[in-house]
Amino acid sequence: MKARGGKADRQQGWTEKVLPTRLEAIRETEREVLGRLEALGYDEDHRFAVRLAFEEALVNAMKHGNRMDPSCQVRLAYRVSPERVEIRITDEGKGFDSAAVPDPTADENLNKPCGRGIMLMRSYMDEVSYASSGREVRLVKYRRTPSS
Amino acid sequence: MAGTENDIVRVTDRRGVTLVHIRIDSILHDPEVEALGRALAAMAEVPGRRVVLSFLGVEQLTSRVLGQLIYARKRLKETGGELRLADIDPRLYDVFVISRLDRFFRIFEREDEAIASFHEEAEA
Repeated sequence: MKARGGKADRQQGWTEKVLPTRLEAIRETEREVLGRLEALGYDEDHRFAVRLAFEEALVNAMKHGNRMDPSCQVRLAYRVSPERVEIRITDEGKGFDSAAVPDPTADENLNKPCGRGIMLMRSYMDEVSYASSGREVRLVKYRRTPSS
Repeated sequence: MAGTENDIVRVTDRRGVTLVHIRIDSILHDPEVEALGRALAAMAEVPGRRVVLSFLGVEQLTSRVLGQLIYARKRLKETGGELRLADIDPRLYDVFVISRLDRFFRIFEREDEAIASFHEEAEA
């Protein structure tokens, strides 16, 4: 969030947090973000989608990005407006190529227990993009789809 | 295992089929995911166990739960058993469909149907 998470962003409604690499830290943060959605009247389908993607992204950042290294942190920035939810999560890992992740819905991968997080994020959010060589993921969910 | 429970699951025996009820409405975070995984892995300790996992009341899960289910199915299969799923909320069912796991698991609308399916096959 170095480039985009500064004062200007805060003025535009971004909330920024630095999380330790501890899975227990996810629960409270998730409650906070979901609380914003609820307060703005987002329906259950939207809350389900954001909760799922948010959890997947944070777990990926801690487990695969920071490799559960307690000396590493995860930076979170989120903004919830009546129109959309935007989330940016950045880890301190080596990054990865999201295009190189095997398709978990391919027949040969169906019996593999891992690798569905990114696919689910892409299915449930309207926009999923990666920056900083895969260390930052940006998630967007519109209250209505952009075309509606 | 019949008639046991912990914070995550309640396990009962229903006419020779092990019925596992999940006791929480959200399986998102690591302690719950891991506990569910351990409970399911324990099912495979008895060879040939036929297991129905009911998602009644579960509203949210994560991809790691899918992973635990796949692992449990594999372990049960290795010991001659089988895992079938039931009572999956439509919103959760979509997760299975999106993941194409609706083709991988045998999924029933209600636990009674899943239990009956084991008996019907045994009688056939």
